[in-house]
Amino acid sequence: MKVALAGNPNSGKTTLFNAITGKIEHVGNWPGVTVAKKEGDVKKSLHSSGKKIRVVDLPGAYSMSPFTSEEGITSSFVKNENPDVIINIVDATNLSRSLFFTTQLLELGIPIVIALNKSDLLRKKGIDIDTGALERKLGCQVVETVSTQGEGLAGLIAKAVSAYGKNQEAPFRSAGVFDETDKNAVLAADRERFAFVDRLVKEIEVRKIASSKQTRQDAIDRIIAHRIWGIPIFAAVIYLVFSISQRYVGPFLADFFVGWIDSLYTMVEGLMGGGRVSPLLAALLLDGIIGGVGAVVGFLPLIMVLFFLLALLDDCGYMARVAVVMDRHLKKVGLSGKSIIPMVIGTGCAIPGIMATRTIRDEKQRRTTAMLTPFMPCGAKLPVIALFAGIFFQDAAWIGVSMYFAAIAIIIVGALIVQKITQEGPSKSYFIMELPDYRFPSMKRAFVSMMARAQSFIVKAATIILVCNAVVHIMQTFTWSFQVVEEGLASTSILASIAGPVAFLLIPLGFGVWQLAAAAVTGFIAKENVVGTLAVVYGIGNFIDTEGLNLVSGAGDVASIMGLTSVAALAYLIFNLFTPPCFAAIGAMNAEMDSRKWLWAGVGFQFGMGYTVAYFVYQVGTLLTTGSFGAGVIPGLIVVALMVGIIAYLINKTDKKAHTGVKAAV
Amino acid sequence: MELALVTREIRRDLIDSDLTTCKYQDLTQVGINLPYIIKGIDTHEQGMKDFLFTLGCFEGEKITVISVLAENYIIHLKDARYSIDADLARAILV
Repeated sequence: MKVALAGNPNSGKTTLFNAITGKIEHVGNWPGVTVAKKEGDVKKSLHSSGKKIRVVDLPGAYSMSPFTSEEGITSSFVKNENPDVIINIVDATNLSRSLFFTTQLLELGIPIVIALNKSDLLRKKGIDIDTGALERKLGCQVVETVSTQGEGLAGLIAKAVSAYGKNQEAPFRSAGVFDETDKNAVLAADRERFAFVDRLVKEIEVRKIASSKQTRQDAIDRIIAHRIWGIPIFAAVIYLVFSISQRYVGPFLADFFVGWIDSLYTMVEGLMGGGRVSPLLAALLLDGIIGGVGAVVGFLPLIMVLFFLLALLDDCGYMARVAVVMDRHLKKVGLSGKSIIPMVIGTGCAIPGIMATRTIRDEKQRRTTAMLTPFMPCGAKLPVIALFAGIFFQDAAWIGVSMYFAAIAIIIVGALIVQKITQEGPSKSYFIMELPDYRFPSMKRAFVSMMARAQSFIVKAATIILVCNAVVHIMQTFTWSFQVVEEGLASTSILASIAGPVAFLLIPLGFGVWQLAAAAVTGFIAKENVVGTLAVVYGIGNFIDTEGLNLVSGAGDVASIMGLTSVAALAYLIFNLFTPPCFAAIGAMNAEMDSRKWLWAGVGFQFGMGYTVAYFVYQVGTLLTTGSFGAGVIPGLIVVALMVGIIAYLINKTDKKAHTGVKAAV
Repeated sequence: MELALVTREIRRDLIDSDLTTCKYQDLTQVGINLPYIIKGIDTHEQGMKDFLFTLGCFEGEKITVISVLAENYIIHLKDARYSIDADLARAILV
């Protein structure tokens, strides 16, 4: 039996989907988070029949006529795949709009069960709905649900099962047969449909509080989404998130965690002791795998706290306000107001972020957004940020915050450059977003979201990162003739000789040694690798509790092992954050851009941007702190000038083209 | 604030002087918290008009501007709240 979940955006479809299937798909308290259909089976605990019920979660839609591509998925699925039953999720607080879509669904002849969701908000908003009358009027079953608390779900599934195979009568059918390509006829029919819904709602719903009045929500909005204060407030909120996770709760939890990893290390070391295992193999297992993976996993508690807090922010409705605040800034540089949604999702992971660009209709804006979204620091980049903030900046929260704002600045500059090259005028697109009500964030939902992230983090650490660290360790241990690298001749290893030429290019950025270059390169496989590889190449088991470590080469701390100044460390961090994302995200860019030219231009642009910003941070920073420029200032300047030259040439070319175009027109 | 209003109106005059719709106000010019009846949607983009329609934003429907935030207008329409940008607010005539 196949059940489809359909309903308006932000009616709670994905929350309901997660609640009845036990899956943990990403949920956001704002419209448009789901862009592709998702499938799962109903949990055994919710239905006793034992029959397999397949549930499909569809992107939200306001009507059956496809206006954005995610609405297209919904209507084509419902029309083509013939689900046995449709559960129509209706926001109980907003019947007069939601039932428009419901009446369209009812015409399909597929049995419908209505989940009157968010019914807990009815009393709060002073709304009375006569559910029985609604059932009679629409000719289908109606179940009150609260998907966020799991209320009414078993009843909903039972009704859906009992509706299986039944006929569905439509209470409203557009009068007469009309030509669907005739715009005016369709419009007239839809007007009638709205009028029908209005009459229906009037009969079954009583509102004691007019919803068009200003509420306390609006008072909060006026402060939070203020024209001037909006951005400083956002900065303060992000600062708070980072200082809680990075300075207080995170390190506290991490201490325990790192202790466990250390004892695992000691235990394995003990098991292999006494020459029973080849020292090469022992080193691979201990320093390569446990050390490298452990260094990444050591950041897990910190990341979890961060994700927990970000989930709380999303859940309470704040992120939707951030989108409102950012909208006009993005529009000035030719992006769509909708571009902010992929970027906010991109703070979790760039891949769903890039996929969310699908909701942008304008092709150029969609491609530009897909190209710029990966600049947002994603979850995988957080361990890198945490590592550098911890080692070089005493866990300062401003490092993390400034990386987010640097990302926003880079996105704005990037969008301007793309706008100049592609010669798009100021954006003509519109921004409309349903504003979700503020609500008290649910600890449980934030916890579930955090655990889901933690799980994927661990899976990644145990697979890709483990393999990468092992490979890095092997490449570091052997020379090209498969001899073990001799003491003091580390630069003869395979890894050093491969990373060496890359390191040469990085000299002007302040970190031209092969170890750091190798870490940056493995970062393209997965950004967490930067931390893992650094741990392997420098032989540091953990980066968090460094006091108890026996540090190699007599250096006092991790910072001096790496031999980086704070300025160079900052440049390295920036280089890792703002060069192209991991290969998986580049794959997502390829899919959404659907153009080789754009993909290569995008990746090239990301390289250029990362290189240029790191160059200026290092050289200017070094000038300010030491009074003279760092190494390789001139060659670096030539490289940067070359890249700027290419951009200028491209802009100039389009300018000329525009001119000749005008002449031709004249 | 007053100055901004004046410049906006002058600019509108420049753009819309040849349109018959100029006898109507748009949402950027109306009072806050007062119900208005939509008189028309002034956009050349049919897709946007269609989309607004599915939200119940078309001639004859009631609409209220609840507040203005950072150049976005919070509107109330069919028991739902939306944030729309100034361009869109200018396209909705009441």
